[in-house]
Amino acid sequence: MLNIKNLHVAVGGKEILKGLTLRVDAGQVHAIMGPNGSGKSTLSYVLAGRAGYDITEGSIHYNGEDLAALPPEVRAAKGVFLAMQYPVEIPGVTTMMFLKSALNAQRRSRGESEMDAIGILKTVRKKAAALNVSEDMLKRALNVGFSGGEKKRLEILQMALFEPKLAILDETDSGLDIDALRLVAEGVNALRAPERAMLVITHYQRLLDYIVPDRIHVLANGRIVAEGGKELALELEAKGYEQIVKDAA
Amino acid sequence: MTIALALPTRRVEEWKYSDLARALGDAGFGEETARARVGAVPAGVEMFALDEPNRPDWVKAHYGKLSANAVSAVSLAKARGGVALRIAKGKVIDQPVTLEFAGQGHVRALLVLEEGAVLTLSERSDPAGTRNIGFEIVLGPNAQLNHVRLSPVSDAVQVEEISMTLARSAVYRGHFASFGAKLARVELDIALKGEGAEAHLSGVSVLSGDRHADVTTHVTHAVGRTQSTQLFKKVAGGSAQAVYQGKVTVAHGADGSDSRQTAKALLLGGRAEADLKPELEIFADDVKCAHGAAVGDLDADSLFYLRARGIPERDARHLLIHAFLEDALTDIANIDLRESVRGAVNMALGEVAA
Repeated sequence: MLNIKNLHVAVGGKEILKGLTLRVDAGQVHAIMGPNGSGKSTLSYVLAGRAGYDITEGSIHYNGEDLAALPPEVRAAKGVFLAMQYPVEIPGVTTMMFLKSALNAQRRSRGESEMDAIGILKTVRKKAAALNVSEDMLKRALNVGFSGGEKKRLEILQMALFEPKLAILDETDSGLDIDALRLVAEGVNALRAPERAMLVITHYQRLLDYIVPDRIHVLANGRIVAEGGKELALELEAKGYEQIVKDAA
Repeated sequence: MTIALALPTRRVEEWKYSDLARALGDAGFGEETARARVGAVPAGVEMFALDEPNRPDWVKAHYGKLSANAVSAVSLAKARGGVALRIAKGKVIDQPVTLEFAGQGHVRALLVLEEGAVLTLSERSDPAGTRNIGFEIVLGPNAQLNHVRLSPVSDAVQVEEISMTLARSAVYRGHFASFGAKLARVELDIALKGEGAEAHLSGVSVLSGDRHADVTTHVTHAVGRTQSTQLFKKVAGGSAQAVYQGKVTVAHGADGSDSRQTAKALLLGGRAEADLKPELEIFADDVKCAHGAAVGDLDADSLFYLRARGIPERDARHLLIHAFLEDALTDIANIDLRESVRGAVNMALGEVAA
């Protein structure tokens, strides 16, 4: 589903990703772990299509298509979803209105009929209840005054609503207490499906206790330096990034 | 005396961003045809046409008493007509009253709300005609006026001076939606003269092409325990120019006054300009005053967030511009008037953010 080859990405003229190769197939959950500054967020932004992240070499293919050629909104409509580390606050746009606009924009782009307001409301309410997203949050301005946990829960609610094919979770665990982490992880696990791939980006092993990955990749200095099964997370926790990176060299 | 000489030049501080003499050119205001029309006049509203003889006492008592600046002095001297409205003591008018100005030249209006009177006024302006409106508003004790002024896109020079006085516990809410003209200016001179008086001003401007819109306010807290708020949001594209000058004066001894001023502008074109100038002049000791101004572009993080959720760039930009304007629009209490301003905003945004 996702096939990244020798990817080099520069931000503001500075090379951050330096030859990253990664393949994720449908039905799989892969974790990217790495220390601060290793290029984790750059990877997530370049997959979602943020401006200012320049691919200088290599390629990203998504279901056989050159992803880099597509604007962010087209990627979203084709099933790429990034749960962001820092969801933005937008005063003046209610959460519900935003969800409705986004869902229908994606449907339009795919040539599907738009959903009416009542249909969307019903769907959102059902999925929101499971994630403990209150009716009040849906009425408030998007992410404005939301706690860290509320913001992350809303990201996962969007994921549940948009039903992406490729979900990228960028440090979804950051700023969450243990209860919120469990709730978010349950939401993510509920979306594991044979037709869906997930890329879970995290600094800490903790999240992977709840979302157990099929494969773990260690990102350091812009490259994948180690790969392994779920046991690699425990090894990282025990030895620390420095040792793993040294071992790999 | 040649009255035209009394028009201010850009050397006058308050007219620095609006070159009236140049915009008017040699033609000036032209032949005097300006007039004021009032839509359906509900029971409880008294109306008097100012070109009629035998002015009633209430008109004589208030007409021409508040005019503050040079431009309104000109309209006072030159206007042949206009309209005066009075809501008698204790009368509550449920239906909004529409006041429309048309034609060219100078025209006057006077609105008197006696003690406890309540009115919603919808002010409209015909886009055709170079025009100078002088409008005096007198609010008696506990009177309440909701005022929405919508000035559509115009190629003419259209200026208006609103002078207002508020007695004890009178409440004024004014919204000023302007979509720009060759030169468009509304100047508000508001005196909070009785304790408990409140003035709440808001406005939106959406400007494209080379249009100009200036909102200049001067609120005076003449006595203590008075309140004023101002929230103005402006969007300018092309080479348009949005101006906000807001001066708040808290007089000596006006303790317990509370004043807040916010003006923000979004510039969507490299040649668009916003001049935001909030100003405080405080002579009292115990007051709460805050002001702020900010000029910027759409937030890149927000734009990316919306696009990453599938919303196309153009729609995402529109959504963010609406979001930017929203809090100023929700200040319009009357839902029908709010929706009509919203409709005008939507039309103007189609042009500015295409």
